[in-house]
Amino acid sequence: MKLFETISNFIDAGEIYAHCDLFCGVYDPAQARIEAQSVYNSAKIYQNSNDEVERQRAIAIKEERAELVKHHLWVLWTDYFKPKHAEEFDNLHDLFWKATKAAGDAKKSVDPAESQKLIDLIDDIGEMFAKTKDDYNYNAIKKNMEGQAK
Amino acid sequence: MASKLSPIFRYKVKGKSMEPHLKEGSNVYISRLAYLFVDPEPNEIIALNHPTENIPVIKRVKHITDEGHIFVVGDNSKHSTDSRHYGPVKREHVIGKVMLK
Repeated sequence: MKLFETISNFIDAGEIYAHCDLFCGVYDPAQARIEAQSVYNSAKIYQNSNDEVERQRAIAIKEERAELVKHHLWVLWTDYFKPKHAEEFDNLHDLFWKATKAAGDAKKSVDPAESQKLIDLIDDIGEMFAKTKDDYNYNAIKKNMEGQAK
Repeated sequence: MASKLSPIFRYKVKGKSMEPHLKEGSNVYISRLAYLFVDPEPNEIIALNHPTENIPVIKRVKHITDEGHIFVVGDNSKHSTDSRHYGPVKREHVIGKVMLK
């Protein structure tokens, strides 16, 4: 057994990647948009509820989802968009900065108007994204999400 | 970790780009001497160092370019990043040939 273990350790080279989870090239502003819709709906649930437990849950979920929005925005901003895009769209960095700030504001607030500001900025990003990708339809995502708004 | 002197490397496959031939989580054995005197040939599965990231990857040889570089593609091409994205790879990036799985 000892010999087997020695050989095993001698040849064990760890993991090898046949990857799709790294550099897979799949990006979609829909992820941020979906989470932002959750933020908005949670704020609405908070406003319309008299149940204290439900209101607390709405806040917890809203904050968690707002954090996910930030994450998805940063992935798009830092991984998907390239310097050539920043040259093409001169408001790119400003838009992501504003959207990230709006996610922070929506996290702190229970006013659905704050969440709506976030959604509007993500829609601007989505439309910008669509211009960089052939056959990508951001309006379909927007429409699906509007259909699920509270 | 494997000894640098070992003629055989055993890796565990992570990711799905070589499915169904190599399943995620399975072990593969790589001969590091297979290409000492001969070149990789089309259809062989090889282990190579990713040309820009510091990680080993496993791919199938599609063809050898006129410059002697190796054009590699994952079997499950929809779930693979390969020479279609980073171009043909140089011989020096090749770790070895998949012998057993």
